[in-house]
This record gives sequence, structure tokens and C-alpha cells, in this order.
Amino acid sequence: MRRNLFALPAVAVAAALLLAGCGGSSEPGGQATTDPGPETGTITFTGTDNAETYQPVIKAFEAKNPGIKVTYTQIPFDQFNATMQQRLSAKDTGIDVYTVDEPRVSQLAAKGFLTDLSDLDAKVKTSFSASAYKTNHFRDKLWSLPMWNSTQFLFYNKTALAKAKVTPPTADPEQRWTWEQVEAAGRKAMQAGGTKYGLFLEQPEAYYQLQPLAESLGGGSGIEGDDALTPAVETDGWKKAMQWYGATFASGLSPRGIGGFQTGPVFAAGDVAFFVGGPWDLKIFGSSKIDWGVAPMPYFQGGKPVTPTGSWSLGVNPASKQQGMARKFVEFATLDPAGNLATTSTTTIIPANLEAQKQYTPQMDTFSGAKTAGAAAITTYESEHTAVSRPVSVGYIQFEEVMGKAFADIRNGTNSDARLQEATRQLTDAWKSIK
Amino acid sequence: MKRISLSVLGGAVGILFFLPLLWVVTNSLRPGSETFANLSPLSWQTFLELRPTLTNYSALLNSPIGRATLNSILVSAATVVIGLAVCATAAFGLAAFQFRGRGLVFGIVVLSFLVPFDAIAIPLSTMFRDWQLTNTFAGLVLPGIGNGMAIFLLRQFFLGIPAELVEAGRLDGLGWFGVFRWIYLPLSKPALIGAGLMLFLFQWQAYVWPLLIGTDANHILGPVALSNLQGQNFTDYGLVFAGAVVLTVIPLVVIAGFQRYFVQSVSSTGLK
Amino acid sequence: MRQRQGLIALAFLAPALVCLAVLRIVPAISAVVESFYTESLLRGGRVFAGLGNYTDLLSNKDFRQSVGVTLLFTVLVNPIQVAVSFLLAVLFTQRAAGAKLWRTLVILPIATPPAVSAVIWSVIYRPDGLANGVLERLGLPAQPFLTSPSQVLPSLIVLLSWIGVGYWMLFLIAGIQEVPEEVREAALLDGAGPWRRMISVVLPLVRRPLAFVLVADTVSNLLVFAPVQILTKGGPNGNSNLLMYDVYSRAYAIGDIHVAQAEVVILVALTLAIVAAQFRLLRGDQ
Repeated sequence: MRRNLFALPAVAVAAALLLAGCGGSSEPGGQATTDPGPETGTITFTGTDNAETYQPVIKAFEAKNPGIKVTYTQIPFDQFNATMQQRLSAKDTGIDVYTVDEPRVSQLAAKGFLTDLSDLDAKVKTSFSASAYKTNHFRDKLWSLPMWNSTQFLFYNKTALAKAKVTPPTADPEQRWTWEQVEAAGRKAMQAGGTKYGLFLEQPEAYYQLQPLAESLGGGSGIEGDDALTPAVETDGWKKAMQWYGATFASGLSPRGIGGFQTGPVFAAGDVAFFVGGPWDLKIFGSSKIDWGVAPMPYFQGGKPVTPTGSWSLGVNPASKQQGMARKFVEFATLDPAGNLATTSTTTIIPANLEAQKQYTPQMDTFSGAKTAGAAAITTYESEHTAVSRPVSVGYIQFEEVMGKAFADIRNGTNSDARLQEATRQLTDAWKSIK
Repeated sequence: MKRISLSVLGGAVGILFFLPLLWVVTNSLRPGSETFANLSPLSWQTFLELRPTLTNYSALLNSPIGRATLNSILVSAATVVIGLAVCATAAFGLAAFQFRGRGLVFGIVVLSFLVPFDAIAIPLSTMFRDWQLTNTFAGLVLPGIGNGMAIFLLRQFFLGIPAELVEAGRLDGLGWFGVFRWIYLPLSKPALIGAGLMLFLFQWQAYVWPLLIGTDANHILGPVALSNLQGQNFTDYGLVFAGAVVLTVIPLVVIAGFQRYFVQSVSSTGLK
Repeated sequence: MRQRQGLIALAFLAPALVCLAVLRIVPAISAVVESFYTESLLRGGRVFAGLGNYTDLLSNKDFRQSVGVTLLFTVLVNPIQVAVSFLLAVLFTQRAAGAKLWRTLVILPIATPPAVSAVIWSVIYRPDGLANGVLERLGLPAQPFLTSPSQVLPSLIVLLSWIGVGYWMLFLIAGIQEVPEEVREAALLDGAGPWRRMISVVLPLVRRPLAFVLVADTVSNLLVFAPVQILTKGGPNGNSNLLMYDVYSRAYAIGDIHVAQAEVVILVALTLAIVAAQFRLLRGDQ
């Protein structure tokens, strides 16, 4: 990537800078070093969540490691991928630690954007679930440490369902509702329960959220082949799932034009009967004025229950000049049960560390008083029986971008079969440059 | 009668343009949770708030937008100062001297600076990365300092300065830089202000470049920070609108302050 | 003597020429060079690809659609903005009560940066936003705006015109005011169809500023990016996937930097052609 062709202009730009009277704060960039860097100082940590989420873990870490400070920078999820690609390929020393979505580990590692953490392998194997252990590996090396795990719940508006005379779903995973049931009940709530919409998924254009729809119908993950670079999004399962999904918007059951993560307020305002969201909502919705409850995520009639899983890991930027401190923080926030628990106290999400998880899961029942009763049992059940990870592929980042646009178009009324065919073509094109 | 109908038509158009702005200001004065409360049905309360609160603005101070606005001011100011120096000297070189190929140099300089540098932002940002200019103020300022319109405008103005003045100055023992500094610049205030405004507005409105080169917390600029606010888990529209107002009012004040020169510079670029 | 003058002129031009070389010419060359290479993530290494990236690009359906959308956008947005600016300039140069105030209201939004305008209009265009609130009040059905393939471009044109029309109007007002007032007044008071007369008298007299505005507007609209990135991500179905956004997403979302560089080369060539026209107009009657 580095080219000498333009070394001359570097002199020119230095001259221009001198001329302009402002010097750039530049350090020579370089390859990843094993140099741990200074013992004390300030490390920067970049992620997608609100700053408040990480305040407790940063405080706990700073208390335990006097002399080290951590500053957190948020980049919204929509911009995170593109911005991080730019900054990491610039060998930006301004990022020491960053959050890594588990399926992206392969590509980031292949591009040299993650520091090899394989010396922690044995510890990681015992501290995390087998699937978390596996997804943070690429080519037999460990590149990032799992921080969180996730699942999805079906939230329902109790008042609206009662008004529409619908018996709400129960928290028992054995009595899980089907999407067909949810749709019918949602329509009743729109007619008689006073809600504007029947059903809304929290991230309506995210692969994480929609993969389970296709998997429930046996459609597979959408990626196949030995190198995991062959698109398979035109299976019957994908087609059927997307037809159904597109129809929920066409019929007005779900609203168009409200983007991912602007969806929660719609449920909190009482405008929708059913909402599919994550563990963080267990607490967020607690402050809303409406009465609600939780149930397991639905599946398709005739299909099998499938739920999403996986979440953010933490990785170290190889360009960081503070590898030692960065690793200390990463280890504290994941391998140390207390540190890992601290990452989940503001935004309620499942800690990946098994020790932390044991303490955490039972509390989930009471995040919002009686409303969240049953959440703990659902979480345990899903992780043992229904959780399906997102596919591991060096092409996952492109896959997610392409599918995100396809989901947006299907949501807005494009014929789903044709759009999936289009996605296959776009994936083939995008992956050509990787192969 | 005709006058009245023209007045009514003008008023209708004016209000149409003004309504979105008014709505933004109004919503910046009420809590974010009420943003969508007055829209169905529409009433006068959609556009007026009787119990305004400044909480969004005080929250703004502690949000990334506060810092980003300061960065925007700093970067724009630096762009104006350095940009004027570069553009004015270039315009002087192209106006005060006769040499072979002057027309060609003029053509090349203005033409290449007229190409909006957004077009070339992606290869340029790759290079800036190799030069360690990512997330530096220098990296943010540099691409804005060469402005084809500003050079053009200043040169036009400089061409109008009588040659006798220059000769008199030379006879008084002024060097060429002295001629530039003590004769050309003092006479060209309107053109300098006009060109400065162009450089300022260009930098203030920039989005692609700051997105590519300055996204860390210490160097992020206003427009990028504002669009980032929208992607958060729970968007606070009160805060978004307050930020939008601040980022609009600052250039508005600058334009209003130099309104006379603005119109003058605007009219002399396209018309004379 | 002339040579000495040339050297001194060169000294004054030096900073600008350095900027020119570093900020424009070198990146342009770098884009051309990079566009001839390709890189494999799995195998690693940089390989000369000749015109491979260009043929890939030209055979890519998304790129071709993006070119089409950009052309459609260009032929829609520029005539609309120029026509509206001209009509408003004519309107606001008439003697009428409050003309100054109304004119100021139209000019105010030009201070809003495009990215900020995009954020504002994202709320206006939401299904429960201001636009549908207004439509409801007028007894009209709600519209999908940004989520409809056919309405997305017009929606973007509205938000760009909101900040653009006032700006271009300033140029045209200045041009109209150069026309002697008696001529304008006479045209206005001359009985039947004053508007038509006004336009038929004034239009030829402001031909030059009008042509300038048309070209300058075209350049500025060619590289529209912020509203697409913030509001639509090129959708629905690629119907707002303007070239500048396509380059960006190809470079950083899809991560295919070399093909993106090829696209930059095409984009710069296109811009240069339009800018050359603008320059000719600027120099015009020298």
C-alpha cells in the first residue's frame, strides 16, 4: 500500500505547511510493533454505543490502574464501518482499542487491522462460550476478545392487546408464537387496540435482525462455499421470508421511513403493538409510560425457532503506540468478570464472560420490575437451543453492506425475489476483488 | 392592485422558504420528546413555542457539537487567513506582471481550483494518510486554501488598479512585495472581503473532506458531528435542532455583517 | 525585463502553484496510477491490472445506474433551480410592499450547510414529520418521500433548492439591477401580460449572469454527497445513488479502493469538462 512514488510531494506539503505556519502533529507511521509502549498515559477507545455505556467500565479500570486514562469516542453504527476502514487503513494512532462486530473479525484480521492476541488463547477458551471462542478466531489465531452476547425478545404492548381482546404471548419458550400469530394479533391491535402499527423490528434493515427470518424457514445464512465467498440468498427460505417481510410494510403493519435505532421510541410511545428488540430495551422501555411485557422471539409456522446471537468484541489497533495499556484495558473489560460486568451496567446487554453471565442473567428478570419477568429464562433457553451465529467470512463486511441495502429496498416495496437476485449479482461483484 | 398581488406572492414565497427554518428554531426551544407532538394536526403551535426553554442549548455545550462548532470556527478562520494570503499573492502575480504564458498560467490555476476538490477527495485523503495528516487541523485546512473563484475575483479587481500608482510606488523605492502590501491590498478591501467570504463559506459547508480526514473527537467539524448525532440509539431531536440552528446562525451572522461586500463580490464574479 | 517580471510573478505565484501541485495534480495522477492496479485480500499483493478496473466498472450495473441517476438529477435540478431563481429575482426586483423582507427570508437558508439541511429535512420527510403534517392539513394524502423510488430525487432536489435558490437568486438580482430601471418599469406597466413582457425584456439582458449561474450551479450539483449519505444511502433501489456517493461507498463500504480510483478518474474528467465551460463564461468578454 505504501508507495514511494509520492515521497517528493511529501516534501512539498511539508514546505507548504511551514509556509502556512502550522505544523502537522505527525509521527512516522509503521508496521505493528511488539513494543508495549508507555506504562501510563491516555488510551482512546472507539465504538458505536453512547458514551454513558462505557463510563462504569472505564471508571473501574482507571481506579485499578492508576496513571492510565481512557477516553471514549462514539461513531454511530451507520458510519462506523466506513469511518473505521478509513482510519485503520491510515494506521491512525488515535485509535488504541475499538469494538469489533464478531462476524467482521475475519476481514479486519486479513487486512491487518487487528493485533494478534493468541497468547491469551487458553484463557479465552475457558472464559467464554465455544461459539464466542470460535468467532473471534481467524486462520487459527485469536484477534479479539468477546465482550458481549445478545439475543432478541418479542416486546408487546399490554394495554393495546387487552383493548383488542388479544391474549398476550407468554414468556415460555415452549409456547413461542409464530410470526403468523403476531401478524394477526398486530392487525387486531391496529383495528381495536389504538396502535398505529402492528409490528416493528428494531433494526429493520440489519442482517443481524433478519437472518433469523430466513434461517427459521431453512434458508441458510446466505453465504456458502469453502471460502465462504459464494452468495446463497436466493434459497426458498430467503425468498419466502423476504416476501413476508416486504408485505408487512406494504400492508401498513410496519412503518416505512424510520431508520434503525429510531424505532424504539415508536414502541415506547405506544404506537406499535409488537416490537422485536434486544436486551438493552429491557431497561430503556422501563422509563416509558406504557405497560408492556416480554416473550420469546417468534418463528415461522412450519419452520424452526432461530434467534440471533453474538455482539461486539474488543480488538487492539496494530498501529497503536500503546499496545501494553490497550491490552490491559481489553483484558479487563472482557476476561475480568468484574470488568466485563461493568460494561453491561448502563446499557443492559449480556456479558460474554461466562462467570459474569452467571451473575448477570438472573437479574434480567427485574430490569424493569414485573414487566421483564421471564427474560432470564428466555435468554438461557435461546443461547442453548435456538441461537445461530452470523456467518464467518472474509467477505462479511461487503455482505452486510449489500444485504442492508437490499433489505431497505424490500422494505420500501421492491419485489423481493428480484431484489435478492440483484443482491446475488452485487455480492458476486463485490467479492471478486477479495478472491 | 398589481403591486399588492406582487407583494402577496412575494410574501407567500418568502414564508415558504422561512417555515422550515422557523420550525427548526421552535423545536430547538422545546424538549426533544415534543418534536413530533404538534404535527398532527398542524396548528400554530407547530411553529411557535410559548414556553421556550434553553435546555437543548446548554446540553449542546457538553455534547460533541460544542467542541465541533469551535473546531469549525477555528478551521474556517485559518482557511480564510491562509487562503487569502495564497490567493491574493497569486492574483497579484497574475495581474501586475506581463510575462509570456500569463494567460496559460491563469487558465491552469483558475481552472484546476475551480474543480471542486470533493471530486479528488478520495485519492487526496489516501495521500494525506500517508503523510500523517489524518486528524490534524492542517489536514482539514489545506485543501480549502486554493480557491479558483477567489483568485479570479481578486485578479479582476487588481487589474483595475492603475499602473501609475504602481510606478509611483516603485519610484518611491517600494519593492514588489511593498507594492503588493502597501498599494494593492489597501485598495482592494471589498474584493478581499468578498474572497474571504467565499473561502469561509466553502470551508464551513464542507462535509466530504472532514468526514474523510477528521473524525476523531478533537478534530470533528460541526456538520459531521451533527449528522453523527442522528445515528445514536435514541436520537434527541431537541439537541439536533439546536445544533442545526447554531451551525446556520454563525455563517448567517458573518454574511449579514459583510452583506454589502458579499453582494458586490457575487455580482462581480458573474457579471462584469 | 520581461523575463525578470516573469520570475517575480512566479515568486508570487509559488504558494498557489505548490498547492495546485500537491492538492490537485498529484492526487489526480495518484488516482490514475492506482486505477491500473488491483489487490487481493486473500492472496495479498498489488497486481497491475491494466484497464481491468475500468472494464469492471463499465460493465457494473450499479455504476451504470449511478451514471444514469446522476445525469437525470443534473438535467432536473439545474434548470429547476435556475428557473426558480430567475423568477424569484424578477419578482423581488419589482416595487412592492415588503419585497426586501420577503427577499431576505428566501436568502436566509443559504447559510445552512448542505449536511445540516439534510439533517433538518430528514425529520421533515419522516412519515410522521412536518411535510406530511402540512399535507394532512391541506387535505392531501401522506406521501412516502425518501422511501419511494420515484419521489426520492425530487425530495433531494427540494432540500438542495431550499439552500441553493436564494444563493443563485442573488447573482441574478445583481444582474437585473444592472438593467436600467426605466426599461424594467416600462416593461411592467405595459398593459397585457406584464410577466411575459417582463421576462421577454429582462431575459435577454441578463443572459450572461444567467449562463454563469447555470454552469456554476451545474458544477456544485454534480458532486452532491451529504444528503445522499445522510438520508438515503443511495436507495431505494439505487434511485438516489449519485456518483460521488457511489465512489465513497465503493472505496470505504465495499472497500474496493482501486475500482473506486477508476471511478474518481471518470468523475474528475466529467467535472473538468463542465468547469472548462464555466471558465470560458467567466472570461467571456475580456
